[in-house]
Amino acid sequence: MTEAVATLPLAAGDRVRRRHARSVLGALALSTPALVLLLVFFALPLLRLFWLSVDAGTFLPYEKALTERLYLTVFWETFKIAAAVTVLTLLLGYPVAYFLATTTRLWQFVGFAFVMLPFWTSILVRTYAWMVLLGRNGVVNRTLLDLGLITEPLPLLHNFTGVLIGMVHVLLPYMIFPIYNAMRKVDADLVRAAEGLGAPGYAVFRRIYLPLTMEGVLAGTTLVFILSLGFFITPALLGGGRVAMIAVIIEQQVREFLNWGFAGALSVVLLASTLVVYGLVHRLLRPRFAEGVR
Amino acid sequence: MKRRTVIAGLGCVALSGIGRARAQSEPPKPRQIVVNASGGAMATALRKAYFDSFEKEYGIRIVDTSPTDFGKLRAMVESGNVEWTVTELGGQDAIRVARMGLVEKIDPKIVDRSGFPEQARSETVYTSSLYSTVLAYRTDVFKPGSHPKSWAEFWDVKKFPGARSLRNHPVDNLEFALLADGVPLDKIYPIDMDRAFKKLDEIKPHVTVWWTTGAQPAQLLVDKEVVLATGWNGRFYDVIKKGAPIAIEWNGGSIKEGTFAIPKGAKDAYWGQKLLAWMSDPKRQAVYATELGYPGPHLETTKYVDPKVAPQMPNYPENLKKQFWNNKQWWDENGEKAAERWNQWLLKK
Repeated sequence: MTEAVATLPLAAGDRVRRRHARSVLGALALSTPALVLLLVFFALPLLRLFWLSVDAGTFLPYEKALTERLYLTVFWETFKIAAAVTVLTLLLGYPVAYFLATTTRLWQFVGFAFVMLPFWTSILVRTYAWMVLLGRNGVVNRTLLDLGLITEPLPLLHNFTGVLIGMVHVLLPYMIFPIYNAMRKVDADLVRAAEGLGAPGYAVFRRIYLPLTMEGVLAGTTLVFILSLGFFITPALLGGGRVAMIAVIIEQQVREFLNWGFAGALSVVLLASTLVVYGLVHRLLRPRFAEGVR
Repeated sequence: MKRRTVIAGLGCVALSGIGRARAQSEPPKPRQIVVNASGGAMATALRKAYFDSFEKEYGIRIVDTSPTDFGKLRAMVESGNVEWTVTELGGQDAIRVARMGLVEKIDPKIVDRSGFPEQARSETVYTSSLYSTVLAYRTDVFKPGSHPKSWAEFWDVKKFPGARSLRNHPVDNLEFALLADGVPLDKIYPIDMDRAFKKLDEIKPHVTVWWTTGAQPAQLLVDKEVVLATGWNGRFYDVIKKGAPIAIEWNGGSIKEGTFAIPKGAKDAYWGQKLLAWMSDPKRQAVYATELGYPGPHLETTKYVDPKVAPQMPNYPENLKKQFWNNKQWWDENGEKAAERWNQWLLKK
């Protein structure tokens, strides 16, 4: 490479370099609107939020957020739910993504329709639909009762189960798409080569397919986990008041008590802990699987 | 000297002229004003009872938005970018909007509230309706007459078994707990929180849903998800009207006022006042009451309501006797403390 550049006349090398610089500038110029948008509507409000939380000149809101048992419990519950939702969507979404990535055109179309239609439906409508399905006298319980499979209606709604079902349903597409994307890029010859060399199906999956799709898994889990942390309406309606998520508490502080400083502190703590978890997961998972590919 | 007198005289004439002009002519009519309220069935009722006729009378279009949002109101007033001409206020907000200086005064020269009861003539907020948090039950589970007739009986899970729903909020629930524990109606305030929470411990295992939105309790009863619930009388009124096997027990109900106000710095505030004046008419309030089950405060409203519907109103004399007025002042002072304790209590396993 260096040799090739060296043999080029000087002017040509310059031109290449200049063209490269121009394309960087061009890319920057093209992404400016989006960057400005993010700056104005995301970064600045975020800063303002932080400012609100220390506006009074003390760290008292933080002390309260980090020491009072109520808020620690709610943070813990929130992360627990987010983790459970992430694991469930991964277990359900990975096979679906595999199916979509490997099946025929027709089935792919049908499969995508099933994934996309709920994705395009209002979250509130879907939440109420689950209430109709999962209630004590809902479709699911009545069917099971009529079939004689159960004698008492199952507690599917207004508890942790209800929240999990509702959130997994909403977030499944966010898991499926990144994984599907990664799977489309997998070179089928690699899998065939491994099989040809006599690797059993399990080993092919673990040593070839999974590492190659790990990028998608990481993207999907990150998306789902972070979106879960901020969930509000689904846990409020399907949890029957028994499932506490931090977003509900933040909303209460903002709307009901106008305690914006404390709400700001809770939000900053949530953001910081989210970033920590995000960093840890990537630190732990990325190098290991990246190595596996090589 | 002479010239100065002349100038002063001219000034006086000019000033009085301006004064007179102002008294006679109204501020220019805007094309539209924005009224923010709860939305849903209420938006329909507001339109039918007040907005349509107001638009016809004054030629000003009313744009209705929702929901009520105190945080947004504060943000609007503080930023000086007030979008709402008039806004409904949430249950506990009437007192703090005044304390925080977020609203204009109600102009007594424009809005005549002489027909309203004393309690409903606040300087800063306009009382548009009365509502009550009441006990409701499935009539096919508990025959009317042998249904729970008090909060003590709501708490009695042996005599009245079945799932219950209460609001996920301390307001009303603390009062109901005290009533269930034998506190008389006029001795509820100041609330003894320790006693109330201790009583709530008893009912907690039997509450399957802690509701968060007003539509929930009625729906929970309709779906038979629960057999007893608390909720706002208008929500039950709505499903009862549609034939649901549900009835209201007024005993121990918690009466509150629905209020509207004009945000400080609102554009066309004058026309906001005019709208409130329009809404203070008892006949129009009767239309609203029949639609929603939330009567206006004008003392003559019930006269114009269908006598068959009147017993479904919280200010029907028979019902009024059995209920208490929720003490806004107490909640304004203790609401935050109570909510924190409530959240903690609810999370306790």
